[in-house]
Amino acid sequence: MKKQKSMFFSSNAEKYTWRTLLLEIVMLVICCIVVLPFYYLFVSVFKTMREMGLNPLGLPGSLYLENFKYAWEQIRFWQAFGNTLLITFSTLIIVVLFGSMAAYAVARRKSKFYRLVMLYFLLGFMVPFQTTMIPLYQQMQFFGLINKIYGLIILSTGSCVFAFFLYQGFIKTVPYELEESAVIDGAKPFRVFFQITFPLLKPITVTMAIFHVMSNWNDFMTPFLFLHSRENTTLMLEMYRGVGEFTNNWPLMMSIMVLIISPLVLFYIFAQRFIIEGLTSGAVKG
Amino acid sequence: MKKALKTLKTEAPYLLFILPAFLGYTVFSIVPLFKSFAYAFTDWDGYSEANFVGLKNFQDLIGDAPMMTALRNTLLYAVSVPVLVTLLAIPLAVILNGKMKTRNLQRAVFFFPSVPSALILGYLWSYMLSPTSRGLINSILGAFGVDRVLWLGTPELAMFSIILVSVWSQVGWHACIYLANLQSIPSSYIEAARIDGANGWHIFRHITFPMLASSMTISVMLLLTGSLKVFDLPFSLTNGGPGYSTTMITQIIITRGVTEKLYGKATAMSVIFFAIIFVCTLLQLTLMKRREEKLS
Repeated sequence: MKKQKSMFFSSNAEKYTWRTLLLEIVMLVICCIVVLPFYYLFVSVFKTMREMGLNPLGLPGSLYLENFKYAWEQIRFWQAFGNTLLITFSTLIIVVLFGSMAAYAVARRKSKFYRLVMLYFLLGFMVPFQTTMIPLYQQMQFFGLINKIYGLIILSTGSCVFAFFLYQGFIKTVPYELEESAVIDGAKPFRVFFQITFPLLKPITVTMAIFHVMSNWNDFMTPFLFLHSRENTTLMLEMYRGVGEFTNNWPLMMSIMVLIISPLVLFYIFAQRFIIEGLTSGAVKG
Repeated sequence: MKKALKTLKTEAPYLLFILPAFLGYTVFSIVPLFKSFAYAFTDWDGYSEANFVGLKNFQDLIGDAPMMTALRNTLLYAVSVPVLVTLLAIPLAVILNGKMKTRNLQRAVFFFPSVPSALILGYLWSYMLSPTSRGLINSILGAFGVDRVLWLGTPELAMFSIILVSVWSQVGWHACIYLANLQSIPSSYIEAARIDGANGWHIFRHITFPMLASSMTISVMLLLTGSLKVFDLPFSLTNGGPGYSTTMITQIIITRGVTEKLYGKATAMSVIFFAIIFVCTLLQLTLMKRREEKLS
């Protein structure tokens, strides 16, 4: 890929014709339509209910902050944010670590046993959460993991399969020679993996991390089922609670939405180039 | 015996590598899966003793109209969304790979709707599509003299709205999957074709499109499994209504299982659901892998 100088404007406009200009204008109009819902969300939080009805798309007449204040009082933002952060990153570490380790063994060892392990993992790859949900709840109850943050973290050891398949495909494209020479020098498999192979897996680790953060941060079903008390709330659970109580107060609900999505959106705005490239850099090559 | 011990010794570290993932996966995925299979043949309600009832739960499913509706809705959704997203994402990726000056800004914009959770997007759109005077879409249409439309109040339109919102939120990020693939196509191929006198459409049809086969397999697989398992968006946008017209399998399993405690019936449905996902994904992967080989 060509290096670009600025963040938003590409510099390699070799043959920029009037047709490109026309396309660009059309595309920018489409872009405006695509972000319209977010614009609407953002301007609505500064309006009173009345102003929202009269002037839905215009800029707010004054910077009305009462909605925000009220929303902030209604949700436990920091607690939910902290829990979501803790869950997302602990599970990320588990999934990356265990997934890549298992993938390494399966990709590098040739015996039939590992082929069987792979088939075994494949079996459950497509199991939807709703299929296992009811027995899973019992299982979690049996282990005493209901309504515990660490319960959700332990549960993630069961979802290493996606990471396993991503890593497994990628490791096959990593040359074996480096590891081989380390083995000849007498390095143990553990050292070989963590010091030589794992650093080489960076592109797929980045892809995996972005996938995981985007889906786990926004996960609603799992915390909804397993975390009941308000202390263990997550951002999505706070959203759901808000809906139950204030559905008819639109500006308030929209303020809650803005608060709930703000951490991930801010992260995206600052890291969007990195995210868009990282999301695909590992996966497509595999 | 000695040989076996020696193999075990060399393999031991690798077995330890597999162990954590294997253990977690077995305890939290496979065991519940088989328990689900077992419950599907009982009349268990969560409290009283479970009795074996054979295939009764499966037979009951056919008579359970909401369940059949949910099945039909899910299939409709899971066909429409992948088809529409793919039809839009490929041209979008080609355009975003072009020479426009603002293409990076545009990439960021198109990707953006996939950042917030589907749950929140659903709630946001439920306000926007509201039939009251405050509903944004209706007030925009009203400015053009169009009568108020009950987007979420009529069965067909409600399903259409869900599909529309889903496509809107996913097109950009699937375009990014294709974009990464496009960037890996050597420009010499396209230049050579151009010298031979090929026009834009020919280049797309005979060079670009076939070379997107591998990312198409990935993208369609993610779309298909994601759409079959969809829960958050219909749950927040319409909550399955009006009636059962937008209820998905996932939601009916939760209603029957968690709310009504009909575990046997719910697990029977979830077994069927698993079979559908399994067959669809397997079929899709086999067909598209074969296509990849044919094109390469």
